Amino acid sequence: MLQQRNEKAFGYLYDNYSGALYGIVNSIVTDKEIANDVLQNVFVNIWRKIESYDALKGRLFTWMLNIARNAAIDELRSKGYRDSKKNQPLGENVDVAGAVTGPAINDVGLKNVLTKLKGELRVLVDLSYFQGFTHEEISKALNIPLGTVKTRIRTALIQLRTMIQ
Amino acid sequence: MESYVLGLASDEERREFEKSCAQYPEVLAARTAFELALEKQAMENAIAPPADLKNKIIDKIGTAGKFVPMQPEQVRKISWLKYVAAASVILLAGSLYYNINLYNKNKDLQRNYDSTVAKLNDMDKDMQILQQNPNIRMASMKGMDISPQSYATVYWDSISHDVYLLVNNLPVPASDKQYQLWAILNGKPVDLGVSDIKKERLLIQAKNTQGAEAFAITLENKGGSPTPTMEKIYVMGKL
Repeated sequence: MLQQRNEKAFGYLYDNYSGALYGIVNSIVTDKEIANDVLQNVFVNIWRKIESYDALKGRLFTWMLNIARNAAIDELRSKGYRDSKKNQPLGENVDVAGAVTGPAINDVGLKNVLTKLKGELRVLVDLSYFQGFTHEEISKALNIPLGTVKTRIRTALIQLRTMIQ
Repeated sequence: MESYVLGLASDEERREFEKSCAQYPEVLAARTAFELALEKQAMENAIAPPADLKNKIIDKIGTAGKFVPMQPEQVRKISWLKYVAAASVILLAGSLYYNINLYNKNKDLQRNYDSTVAKLNDMDKDMQILQQNPNIRMASMKGMDISPQSYATVYWDSISHDVYLLVNNLPVPASDKQYQLWAILNGKPVDLGVSDIKKERLLIQAKNTQGAEAFAITLENKGGSPTPTMEKIYVMGKL
């Protein structure tokens, strides 16, 4: 009986949230086929880790969202992805650091909002949130002090929030 | 707050923020509001995944059909179970051993108890002989120089001339020695028999005597002696 309930609950989660999570995954990975694989990983992870979800730390969707983002970033950084020719080709909107500077056609949701941020703030959020670089890595790549990176990202995220709330 | 919700905060930042959420309801409210906004954003920009994806996922999960804990936790739980199982086996084995021990001890105790009860019954019988018989006369034999702590009592039935010896305290003789009881009659010692002074009987019946002025016990070689070894008188007393 309990098993059936859990399967049902999981099915409910999928039916209601797979679309939203797929959108997130797509905004990071962009290739549809790879995004499919990533989404599968996302839900398998959700299934396996459900007992580690702590309601005190946030809402269930936030927890799932972060699983999705992490899975997508892992794919980005995986050897297979970097080797494959399915990488997004560098376009005119991409600056030296590989961050998006202008809206791309299929940008939706948060990524679209991102483009409304100004200059360096946009680059920083893109590198940290959408590409998974650590503050340290960003600090080295852009030659900005670590503390500055942290402060600016914090500012950028606050702006991002005000744009969606 | 934004970093925390978006999964960008460091471990320390997370801990601090969690404390703030616990302490300040307004912080918690702000966090929840942001989370809701994110969810709304994500829902509004949802993209339908391929239809067959759901089944693929169900297959990958497997037919266990149940939410299972994270792998590390699972391992921890299994270890914990094994540990408890091992501990219970040890406990059980220990308890079994203890029980067997107790059972054996109990058997011994029971035997001891039974023999003690038998002794007491015999003592009772012996005492009855002495108490109910008005003709019994008593001779307290005190310890001599060889063995000042020794002490014995003779009960003499003046009518039947039966002699009973009560060993109050006499050292256990060597295996080649025995105690011999004497009646001093008309100044001469009369043999009343030898005994190993076993502790089972309080009262030992000795040979009869017509009378006596006194009684004495000497330590003789096994089998006794026709005349008492004067140097080995242990106890003596007048009737």
